[in-house]
Amino acid sequence: MSTPDTTRIPSTRRTSRERVELALRHVEADRVPLDLGGGPVTGIHVSSLYRLRQALGLDAPGTPVKVIEPFQMLGEVGPDLVDALGADVVGVGLRTNFFGFANDDWKPWTTFDGTPVLVPGGFNTDTGADPQGGLFMFPQGDRAAPPSARMPRRGFYFDAVKRQQPIDDEHLNVEDNLEEFAPITDAELAHVKREVERLLPSGKAILGNFGVTGFGDVAFVPGMSLKHPKGIRDIEEWYVSLSLRPEYIYEVFDRQCEIGLQNLARIHAEIGDTITAILVTGTDFGGQQAPLISPRTYRNLFMPFHVRVNDWIHSHTRWKTFIHSCGSIWRLLDDIVAAGFDALNPVQTSAADMDPSALKQKYGDRITFWGGGIDTQSVLPFGTPAEVRDMVRDRMRVFGPGGGFVFNTIHNVQAGVPVENLLALYEAVGEFRDYPAG
Amino acid sequence: MTIIPELREAVIDGRAKLAVTMVTQGLEQGIPAETLLQDGLIAAMKEVGQLFEEHEIYVPEMLVAARAMNAAVDVLKPQLVEHAVKSSGTVAIGTVQGDLHDIGKNLVAMMLKGSGFEVVDLGTDVPPERFVDAIRAGADVVAMSALLTTTMTSMKEVVEAISLAGLRDRVRIIVGGAPITARYATEIGADGYAPDASKAVRKVRELLTV
Repeated sequence: MSTPDTTRIPSTRRTSRERVELALRHVEADRVPLDLGGGPVTGIHVSSLYRLRQALGLDAPGTPVKVIEPFQMLGEVGPDLVDALGADVVGVGLRTNFFGFANDDWKPWTTFDGTPVLVPGGFNTDTGADPQGGLFMFPQGDRAAPPSARMPRRGFYFDAVKRQQPIDDEHLNVEDNLEEFAPITDAELAHVKREVERLLPSGKAILGNFGVTGFGDVAFVPGMSLKHPKGIRDIEEWYVSLSLRPEYIYEVFDRQCEIGLQNLARIHAEIGDTITAILVTGTDFGGQQAPLISPRTYRNLFMPFHVRVNDWIHSHTRWKTFIHSCGSIWRLLDDIVAAGFDALNPVQTSAADMDPSALKQKYGDRITFWGGGIDTQSVLPFGTPAEVRDMVRDRMRVFGPGGGFVFNTIHNVQAGVPVENLLALYEAVGEFRDYPAG
Repeated sequence: MTIIPELREAVIDGRAKLAVTMVTQGLEQGIPAETLLQDGLIAAMKEVGQLFEEHEIYVPEMLVAARAMNAAVDVLKPQLVEHAVKSSGTVAIGTVQGDLHDIGKNLVAMMLKGSGFEVVDLGTDVPPERFVDAIRAGADVVAMSALLTTTMTSMKEVVEAISLAGLRDRVRIIVGGAPITARYATEIGADGYAPDASKAVRKVRELLTV
């Protein structure tokens, strides 16, 4: 297969970092910036990544890809693929992952679908314990602890295992939901600094993902990195608590926010304004048909803390703030924008009431759409390459004008996407991203 | 007599302890269990479904109301069994093989139970054989949930397994979940699709109406 032509460079060329910064300031750069792999919500499953790298001839057959995010099984895109696609964003995160072990000490592994990968040394799954043939994952890689996540047989990702202690509503303790919201360690700060120094010479925009202000993110709520989590850890119980125990939730967020802001201050003291944007929160507020929570619940329980975090970041740093929320969130967007976020991801246009033109018209001058580039529920996995190309062109035309758009798939590229569609996707990005886009 | 209206309000407001108190008092006062079920609980869940569809309430409030309803139904169950009150039908529900997501499926199960159906919850990561077994055990409806593009194809395998077992005519099949569409339901040979828990109840009722 031929390498897609993704590098039509016009006469005025911007660096990647400038391109993204201009987009975030709602100014058209030379072309629409592209993100693949900048963060844990703009990445690609190892299965699809392996096939893409093979199709582009970047690796010899059988060369494993690194699993840099084991919860969603996201792969390390690599600087060669970033350059081949003309992507503009790289990411910096903490050394430890969702399961509480470090992304180092790599060892070979094979996924259920046969993809050769490298996983961190703490990736200690147990196949024998699950009678249905799935895999259990253990907090901090400790097989002596009860498992904290499971991947079903032939599955592609892990999901949290329910570990909910009985709840005594008369004696709720906020501390129980704070265990993982600890002060950031010096070792983590040193790691972040080293990573930033490594990435800066690339000229790419750096997206920071530190997880210190993710209030109510159900990826964090189960506490998969903790061996014996206390408090409210079952996801369904958490949603129930938003209605039944709002005072408790508010207090939890208040304390998490206090700790989070202290951590942000220490991170900023360490790395300054070297990152372009920071992923503030990944809490999903939308389902397929409607928001998961009422506008009143967002306003009362979440917005005060989002305002606090955005205000701190905007008054102490030059970072732009990035919110990830899947689903239909049209009814919440007035408040989300008012809370001060600079960028919205993934812009799930396949959800109800998330029409691209309506979004751009109403909010396009106030928030950058970091996503929305291609439907990952139907077109990318199940459409034809021609349909993929048409949608990319359409999204460039709708979201591109006036800047305020960073092209990304709607959430991570999932497993099971035909490689022809991936090639068509990035070829179309290359074809249609120069301004005027589309 | 204010028990029935108060019971309805207790369920709608998600007050489980109050709902249990109301059904207990209602039984003590000689109100038939079936009346408490139909006029109290099922009527309340109908209103909850309506409020949800009108975006007056959302998932947390639905879950809380459904839990209150469940708690009240558990009190009524022995009476309903004793008086041979028939359910509206039996629904076997599960998240398909390879998929562990269950909040949406749980909501549908709770809404069905609150609407007078017998619900057999097969859980998550359910292989096709278990859906087939559920039909042999008496299910009138098989309801499947999937959240992922990588697992929705398991739904087709279930429909095929049911056909291979010679049971396709004995059951109605309904599907749902974030990536699922009405078109996909038709494509795989299912009988129906619903985009949310409230509409799922209506669709099941419709499918079981001769």
